[in-house]
Amino acid sequence: MKKYDLIIVGAGMTGLRAAIEGVKQGLHVAVISKVHPLRSQSVAASGGINAVLSKNNSDKEENDTIDKHFQDTMKCGYNASDPEALQLLVERAPGKIKELERWGCLFSREQDDSIAVRTMGAASYPRTVYSEDKTGHVIMNTLYEQCIRLRQNKPDLLRFYDEWFVQKLLVYNNVVSGVIAMEISTGRMEIFSSKAVIWATGGSGKIYGKTSNSLTNSGWGTAVPMYAGVSLRDMEFIQFHPTQLSGSNVLITEAARGEGAILLNRKGDRFLESYSDSKEQKGLSARDVVSRNIQREILAGRGVDAKSVYLDLRGLGSKLIKKNLPGVRELCKTYANLDPIRQKIPVTPGQHYTIGGISTNEKTQTDIEGLFAAGECACSGVHGANRMGGNSLTETLVFGEIAAQSAGAYIRQKHHRFPNKVFFENAFAEEKNKIQLLLKNKEGLKPAEIREKMNKAMDNFVGIYRDGMGLVEAAQIIKELKNLYQTNMYVDGSEARSNFGLLDAIELKGSLDIADIIIQCALKRNESIGVHFRNDFPSFKGRPRYSLVKIRKNKIKIRYMAVRTKTNPLLAIFTDSRSLGK
Amino acid sequence: MKEKTYKISVFRFDPLKDTKHNFVNYSVPRNKAKTVLDALLYIRDHADGTLAFRASCEHGRCGSCAMHINGKYGLACEVLLRPGKNVIRPLAQLPIIKDLMVDMERFWEKYESIRPYLIRHSGEARQSYANRKEMDSMIDCILCGACFSACMMTGMNSDFHGPAAYVTLNRFLRDERDTIHDQRMELVTGENGVFRCHSMYSCNEACPKNVKPSENILEIKKNIG
Repeated sequence: MKKYDLIIVGAGMTGLRAAIEGVKQGLHVAVISKVHPLRSQSVAASGGINAVLSKNNSDKEENDTIDKHFQDTMKCGYNASDPEALQLLVERAPGKIKELERWGCLFSREQDDSIAVRTMGAASYPRTVYSEDKTGHVIMNTLYEQCIRLRQNKPDLLRFYDEWFVQKLLVYNNVVSGVIAMEISTGRMEIFSSKAVIWATGGSGKIYGKTSNSLTNSGWGTAVPMYAGVSLRDMEFIQFHPTQLSGSNVLITEAARGEGAILLNRKGDRFLESYSDSKEQKGLSARDVVSRNIQREILAGRGVDAKSVYLDLRGLGSKLIKKNLPGVRELCKTYANLDPIRQKIPVTPGQHYTIGGISTNEKTQTDIEGLFAAGECACSGVHGANRMGGNSLTETLVFGEIAAQSAGAYIRQKHHRFPNKVFFENAFAEEKNKIQLLLKNKEGLKPAEIREKMNKAMDNFVGIYRDGMGLVEAAQIIKELKNLYQTNMYVDGSEARSNFGLLDAIELKGSLDIADIIIQCALKRNESIGVHFRNDFPSFKGRPRYSLVKIRKNKIKIRYMAVRTKTNPLLAIFTDSRSLGK
Repeated sequence: MKEKTYKISVFRFDPLKDTKHNFVNYSVPRNKAKTVLDALLYIRDHADGTLAFRASCEHGRCGSCAMHINGKYGLACEVLLRPGKNVIRPLAQLPIIKDLMVDMERFWEKYESIRPYLIRHSGEARQSYANRKEMDSMIDCILCGACFSACMMTGMNSDFHGPAAYVTLNRFLRDERDTIHDQRMELVTGENGVFRCHSMYSCNEACPKNVKPSENILEIKKNIG
């Protein structure tokens, strides 16, 4: 058994930022990730990270302020954002950029040496800091570099377990006591006991077929703490990004529209201008609006083909594309064999971001003691019913840091009583047994056959537009697939060592369970708000509510709570650390 | 009539069971795969779930799936399948864990040994526009390991840092905010250092991101005086 103060599960932007703060708090930290940190989904983030910097790049009369960042986000999220969490996000964002700069992050810059900013959708000012269209890549490198630095300077405080797969979150009497994980290359299982755990496993996009998410985003990361008893919030809120490359669903960043690219239908019309909700901001309307209107245009028969419209970058000129969007150009050349300097790009909306997740408060606390969650796997309500482009990276840094501060405070104040050895041994044996069972059966369906059917059901029935009938059908399909998973599925190979097919099978259980919850939440919410649009309930009435899911006796229980309204002043927590980096 | 499948020949080796590697042939329907990674995923999903390889982002951003494809290094997710036979091997110079999955430890160890982080002893640092612009070509390295694998010297000399580490080193040498320039140079001027590179440009050829490690190494050499 390995012992740590703090275990961080996931090594994307949130996990790495939490690790840095954990070490600063003087904790013994282990970071467990099923891929090397630099292979995390965070590296694919392109457009940028939102923060109000002191300078004002716009030609408007008034300067941008953190209040405006707050208001834009609130509006974009249909007033369903948690105000306490959002206030922390906007207030701490500038400090996070300065901190990255101190650590050597290679942001794009203006000729006067200031950090460059661009405009993303639904923003009233240019406040998205970026590095070309590779922002996630450069920030992840900077964070990982700082982790290496800490590890070289304080080797006893920080340990990385790369390519270890977390199977179970250990909870005893509603208090966290560690995780069970398996080293992928050897198949060796290990108990990690800890006083606190930070969950930072990212989104669940691979439940869908048409998604820009990495293979890692299977939903398993959200399922594991759910099995341990945490509540999930707003799971029906799935964001569809308007512009993914048709065919491969490679993301074409919103920054392309920020730089001036336009959306065109088959006839060459700028169709966004003909819809009332995108008339004004056009291509830079909120993501849910643009995705819906692309879909409407396609349904009206004005698409380029059955699923696409054109994104036209030609007006930007080759100089600007090469300078600010070289990644977009490279992706188009590789995956569509076209050059956006000269040709229009066929794009289609696709799954992009899991707004819902592990329910937390603004301090990242979950309803299990000692378990903290942050980043895309979590849901503090900060994004409301529709996430604004550029806010997710801000969220990872702000709440990654807060998670480690909260964990530090928790560890210091609590008298920890670890469960006895038998508890750990039983849990370990149970996990080992599950793997043996999966490896034992040698006939039936392969996991991929089940996964592909799930992907199709999600794409077809739980997309941009939903309705009761489709959702009921999707629920029925998932129910059947769950049944097949239990009774008629097999895994190749006889051992766990380097067996990726086995891992796929384990994760598929999580995918199915999370898919089920998304469908049930979408079915239950009889209204349309933000990314959740019901054809059979197109209007929204009353005050924003959030959904809260808990699994009780294998049944999904959903209830609704009113979203908090803005209270003043801010909660007084973390006032000392909030001034950090400013 | 056009062929309906791609032919894929995949290197298979389990060091704990096999004495020798072998190549296994698979057929992948043309409508199910465009890139080499699509094909490998299809094989894992539908033919043999035990085929070991790494993959994550699927569009050339994460660096997981560097391998040797049809005689060249590349990212499986970026290389399009060709008609006829496609031959897939793991990265060279690194111990094989299983099949196409190699042990990257030595690669990361060399990368970390050059102290890949900004060190500034005093004062707030603001990078200038000009300095940032100089780095445009260097920020694209995704540490996939292709160059390390292609490099003759990393195979012959286990102390040699390798091309990717030198790209990162040059990125910090060039950074006007970094204050330990001299110490960084000391790390690589020894007999196993940067002069072991004989400028064969294998790294440039292998790099899927067109980072040009050779040019970076030449620049470091020039600065040693």
